[in-house]
Amino acid sequence: MSELSVPHLLGIKYINEADIQLIFETADQFKEVINRPIKKVPSLRDITIANLFFENSTRTRLSFELAEKRLSADVVNFSAAQSSVKKGETLIDTVNNILSMKVDMVVMRHPNPGAGVFLSQHVKASIVNAGDGAHEHPTQALLDSYSIRERLGDVAGKNVVIVGDILHSRVALSNIFALKLQGANVKVCGPKTLIPKYITSLGVEVETDLQKALQWCDVANMLRIQNERLDISYFPSTREYVQQYGLTKPMLDALDKEIIIMHPGPINRGVEITSEVADSDQAIILDQVENGVAVRMAVIYLLASKIK
Amino acid sequence: MKTLIKSATIIDASSEYHLQTKDILIENGTIIQIDDVINESVSNEINLPNLHVSQGWFDSSVSFGEPGYEERETLENGLLTAAKSGFTSIAVNSNTKPVSDSKSAISFLSSKAIGNAVNLFPIGAMTMKSESVDLAEMYDMHTGGAIAFGDYKVPVSNPNLLKIALLYAQNFGGLIQSFPHEKKIAGKGVVHEEANATRLGLKGIPALAESLQVARDLFILEYTGGKLHIPTISTEASVKAIKEAKAKGLDVTCSVAIHNLFFTDAVLDNFNSNFKVLPPLRTENEVTILREAVLDGTIDFVTSDHMPIDIENKKLEFDLAEYGTLGLETAFGALNKLFGAEKAVTLLINSKERFGIPSNTIQVGSKAELSLFNPGESFVFTSKHIYSSTKNSAFIGSKLQGKAYGIYNNNQLVTF
Repeated sequence: MSELSVPHLLGIKYINEADIQLIFETADQFKEVINRPIKKVPSLRDITIANLFFENSTRTRLSFELAEKRLSADVVNFSAAQSSVKKGETLIDTVNNILSMKVDMVVMRHPNPGAGVFLSQHVKASIVNAGDGAHEHPTQALLDSYSIRERLGDVAGKNVVIVGDILHSRVALSNIFALKLQGANVKVCGPKTLIPKYITSLGVEVETDLQKALQWCDVANMLRIQNERLDISYFPSTREYVQQYGLTKPMLDALDKEIIIMHPGPINRGVEITSEVADSDQAIILDQVENGVAVRMAVIYLLASKIK
Repeated sequence: MKTLIKSATIIDASSEYHLQTKDILIENGTIIQIDDVINESVSNEINLPNLHVSQGWFDSSVSFGEPGYEERETLENGLLTAAKSGFTSIAVNSNTKPVSDSKSAISFLSSKAIGNAVNLFPIGAMTMKSESVDLAEMYDMHTGGAIAFGDYKVPVSNPNLLKIALLYAQNFGGLIQSFPHEKKIAGKGVVHEEANATRLGLKGIPALAESLQVARDLFILEYTGGKLHIPTISTEASVKAIKEAKAKGLDVTCSVAIHNLFFTDAVLDNFNSNFKVLPPLRTENEVTILREAVLDGTIDFVTSDHMPIDIENKKLEFDLAEYGTLGLETAFGALNKLFGAEKAVTLLINSKERFGIPSNTIQVGSKAELSLFNPGESFVFTSKHIYSSTKNSAFIGSKLQGKAYGIYNNNQLVTF
């Protein structure tokens, strides 16, 4: 197979395992490209991509923009606070306006779950979901799995624990779908208030004890506590959260094996992980960032080839 | 003026002609003859394929828009929609702008329906502006024709207010409605909280949000006495609680929305906002229990919970879209498919008594208030079957069984 099964990347649950492998194999080539002295290929010279960010983002947007530019695509950026969009123009109108300027592909981040799916039903463009509410963040999950594959050789059969705010996290959801699709075993770990009541319906297990979760896993993906998404208090204090779910170096040293530490960023040092952990050899946080560009190049390249 | 309905199968368990195919002759709005064959030359003869007739259907929860939300629906087209969908009587919710919380608002609604083929019965707000703070003038509205009092989908957050309303309305036998929804538990949820909500990253409304409020309301009713109607329940625990309350002898009824009987939350996969309704669509398990409760009578009656929403407020990202679906057009086709024609008809008329709406057995001498329908026709419901001004139907694309031809009521024939 040399092309994706879908015209958009709206979420991991809409693609299959062969799609993931194709993206990874393509990303392997682009990773080699971005480590050359000239980090650019002319593949998408005839493609124009709009990055529409209806929610704040720095690293994801930067990563997408770099990926697009290294493929020689023309890039336009649009940022808007959700409130102003809601009051005036509808999402469909906003996007159709931009598409009228002959844009081929839309990379969109949006605060509402399903916004990408909704948009794909109403506009004519290839859509890449760069995060929609607490729904999915497929490129993050792909780059996470890609990084595990790079470090451990394979994702299948590995034990992965996702720690932290699972309730508000699109990263967790997409990671669960991606890891399960590739045959990994997944646990989620955090206070019960931050774990969806029905999460086990996705085929994952719940572990509320971080130390036990660490003993079980090969990989720990530490999520950020997203204070901006917490409408009420889900735990009494950050201090108490850290006591139970903060990852420290002594905890890692107490294990009889060396596990890999991941984090989608931005890190709250001293909250979900200490600096000592974040800067240790076990942490592959900066590899994830580098792989993010290669994986996004692969996704955009493969979707663009379907437009052509 | 005479009207002759030819070869109609009568579905009316209270009539001696139940399940018989007859000709029905109507003069000046009254049934004057029912016979195997009536040969009389009349100005108006109704001869339709597989025609069935029943007592006129009543829907206890219908929203239009006038006054205030005419972009959703006008009373004129709303009543026409009801007639074409087979309803001779409807109760109109208080969710207008301004809210129907005064006698003059009730009179406005009633006056707009004078001379119409459809009987309109207004529901008054229980609280001023439906803000759930101060009681509205329920007695005054009662004398003006309001048949019940409730704030539509605004839950009574203050339990003492419900206590007082239930006590006060006993002065005049008023029926109080309390929408079962605990707002704090529901939080920012937009769909049923379970596997599908989790998979789709949509915020869930726990079934607990409904059941908790139902349990609270039933405790209050037990204390106060009075008449309580709990509109549109959707959970197993609510069914159980209401069953127990009835066994205790409390004067409580409840309804379920037809779409909550017809769909499960599995339809949410495409984030289609036409499925954004309140209470939310539940799981297969809950839907099965709701259907059983309809059959065993724990759920007293059904409603279309008809709610037109203009495209500007519906064709949006799921979180931002308003709640509600059209329901009148699809009510019979959905119920007939689920329960068969006889039960469907029973469900569409048996709420009349609770709301004090007169019923008319199909017999010589009765008022001709009839619903006309064909239970045999199977079809896929599309937007071209919609009579409403808006198109927000959850049933678009669904296969239904049976279609209303229209109504005969108030000496008028309305068919689509």
